[in-house]
Amino acid sequence: MIPIEFFLLLGGILFIIGAYGALTKSNAILVLMCIELMLNAANINFVAFGAFNGDVMGQAFVVMTISVAAAEVAVGIAILLNAYKVRKTTELDDKQLQTMRW
Amino acid sequence: MFIEYTWLVPLLPMLCFIIIGFLGRKTPEKGGYIAIAGAAGSFLMAVLISYEYLTGDAYPDPVSSSIQWFIIPGNEDYVLNLGYYVDGLTCVMMLFSSAISTLIFIYSIGYMGDQGPRKTRYYAEVSLFLTGMLGLIVSSNFLEMFIFWEVMGLCSYLLIGFWSFRHPEGDDASVNAASAAKKAFLVTRMGDVCLMAGLFILLGEFHSLDYTTLFDPDNIAAVNSDNLTLAMLLVFGGVIGKSAQFPLHDWLPDAMAGPTTVSSLIHAATMVKAGVYLVARGWPLFIQNPDVMLFVGIIGGITAFLAATMALNNMNIKKVLAYSTISQLGYMILGLGAGGYLVALGIQMGGEEGAVLMAAGTAGFFAGCFHMVNHAFFKALLFMCSGSVIHACHTEDMRLMGGLHKHMKITSTAMLLGSLSIAGFPLFSGFWSKDLVLEIAMDAGNDGTVWFTVLWVLAVVTAFMTAFYMFRMWFMTFMGSEGHNAQHCHGESPKSMTVPLMILAVFAVGSGFLALFGLDGILSFDPITYLVGGGHTEGFEYFSELFTNPYTWLTIVLALGGIGIAYVMYGKKSEDVESKTFALAGKFNKNGNAWLYKALTKRWWFPDLYNQISWKLGYGVAKGVNYVDRQVIDGTVNALSSSVVGGGDVLSKVQTGHVQSYSSVVLLGISVLSVLLLIIAMVMGGI
Repeated sequence: MIPIEFFLLLGGILFIIGAYGALTKSNAILVLMCIELMLNAANINFVAFGAFNGDVMGQAFVVMTISVAAAEVAVGIAILLNAYKVRKTTELDDKQLQTMRW
Repeated sequence: MFIEYTWLVPLLPMLCFIIIGFLGRKTPEKGGYIAIAGAAGSFLMAVLISYEYLTGDAYPDPVSSSIQWFIIPGNEDYVLNLGYYVDGLTCVMMLFSSAISTLIFIYSIGYMGDQGPRKTRYYAEVSLFLTGMLGLIVSSNFLEMFIFWEVMGLCSYLLIGFWSFRHPEGDDASVNAASAAKKAFLVTRMGDVCLMAGLFILLGEFHSLDYTTLFDPDNIAAVNSDNLTLAMLLVFGGVIGKSAQFPLHDWLPDAMAGPTTVSSLIHAATMVKAGVYLVARGWPLFIQNPDVMLFVGIIGGITAFLAATMALNNMNIKKVLAYSTISQLGYMILGLGAGGYLVALGIQMGGEEGAVLMAAGTAGFFAGCFHMVNHAFFKALLFMCSGSVIHACHTEDMRLMGGLHKHMKITSTAMLLGSLSIAGFPLFSGFWSKDLVLEIAMDAGNDGTVWFTVLWVLAVVTAFMTAFYMFRMWFMTFMGSEGHNAQHCHGESPKSMTVPLMILAVFAVGSGFLALFGLDGILSFDPITYLVGGGHTEGFEYFSELFTNPYTWLTIVLALGGIGIAYVMYGKKSEDVESKTFALAGKFNKNGNAWLYKALTKRWWFPDLYNQISWKLGYGVAKGVNYVDRQVIDGTVNALSSSVVGGGDVLSKVQTGHVQSYSSVVLLGISVLSVLLLIIAMVMGGI
């Protein structure tokens, strides 16, 4: 059996990659994708702990998370599409998008 | 009957001040008659009170009544009162102050007649001035006295600067009046600060400032004598300021910038008399230490001498009189100091010998007060005469006068009588009191210290100089050839001015004889009970003693010599009318180039000294304070505000509006917190 540390390591690496991307990338789509990475890193941890403890609650939570994440991505992509329609860009640092802040 | 209404004496002029201030503009003479009525009312009250007190049963015990004013919070036994205090000294002071003020106010109707609407201000202020003096006299404690003392300081400032807005002689004169007023106010303020400090010590020692408490021999014996000595020296500092004693004498000659009537009021009836009155009033406390009295005497003697030298060559008729006032004030202080010194020695010595000294010393109290009364009459007369001359000639420079006797016979005669009196011509009032002062100084020299012998010599020389400069003034003004302004003289002044002159001339000649009719009993001092008044009348003995004393004849000869020299130098008509140089005088002072002549013209460099001190010290302190204010205090505030602004600027950079940078910070914070949590858990041994 694969030791739990490997799963946790994979989850940690994924989370760090996601966090790095979410904090540094200026393209809004990339940021959204990185947020997905971070969510999935957490999902891996859930599944791993659930499997090792023989508890089904971990998998149940993951199903829940995935569904919520799908909704979140749908909303995020929809906002981005509309923003792109109006401003012709998805770059977060772009003046065109920054004027929407306030 | 009347004595319960003593508070009316200062209140009447106070009411006049308020009435003139609000309504004076609409009354005839712009309030002048109201002021006269107030002063005359005060005089009438003073006469009634004095008569009732001096013939009453209480005499010589003082009659005093007070209401509680306030208690110092936290120290319930420090009670401060308001009230009146009547004894022999109060009566005499009240009488001559209000009488002379009344005459001066009547004289003002003529002298200030051409001043137009500004007369309202003048009459309101002189009424307040009189309030200050009368209030100071009837006060029942030192605090009340100090308040009226300050009222007088304020009024002297206002009146000396009366012409600071528009002077009849032009802008320079008005600037001069303004600076003279400031000088008078600031210089006397130095003394007032000392006086206030002295009063604080007295309050701390006696827990009261009431005269009845302070002048109780038992209470005085109970307090710390070192503190009392310090307190009395400080109180005398106030006297030095107010009575223009050396070294704070220099404001008085400058105060001549005010109207002549104001000078007359300041010099004769009020203001400078307050200082002498304070010494006389505080005598029970002053005589506790001979050294204090020696100091008082030395200051008085030096003042008398210095001021007389400065009067010798002054060309301004009013300034000569101003110096003569300072000099005569020095006599009064010297008399009080020398007498007090003997009494203080007597108290220390005790026994038979001490009693003799005390008896001799109490004559000094009478001499000082007696000279104050006489001086009030002849100095008021002299100033009003000089005012009459100035009114007629429109100048104060004696070189432009001369030969006025035939134009103004009344003024000239009155001034001659006043001059004879101040010069100490036998049988005139000034003669009696001045020679009494000299005799006391001689006694103090014989029985006490050699210091008083030195002061006696100074005082005798001063007597000679007094005779000289007074007659120099009289001859320059009324005799000799006519100067430029004398030729355009208007002639005699109006009746409202000459009548007061005539009344005062009678007193200036005769007030010395009041001592024969019981004045010395009223102004006697009992060295055992510390009460003023009630002494047995020995005026005749004083007078006969004077004429059996060989030194009196010395001063008479010196005075006559002074008059003679003045006549030789200034009395004759000179050939050269235009330049009007006095040939002999010119030869004597090398036409104004002699070193001494210059020193006297520069008033012994006292104004320069004042300027140097105030400039170097005052400007230095001001610069230091300015530095502290601008650099330290402002600097602290500025640094604080700029650090807040700067810090805000720096911190506002954090607020980028970037979600990514915010979330970076959140992430960083969470990481740090987790690491901390781990460390804590490890340290606590949880894992």
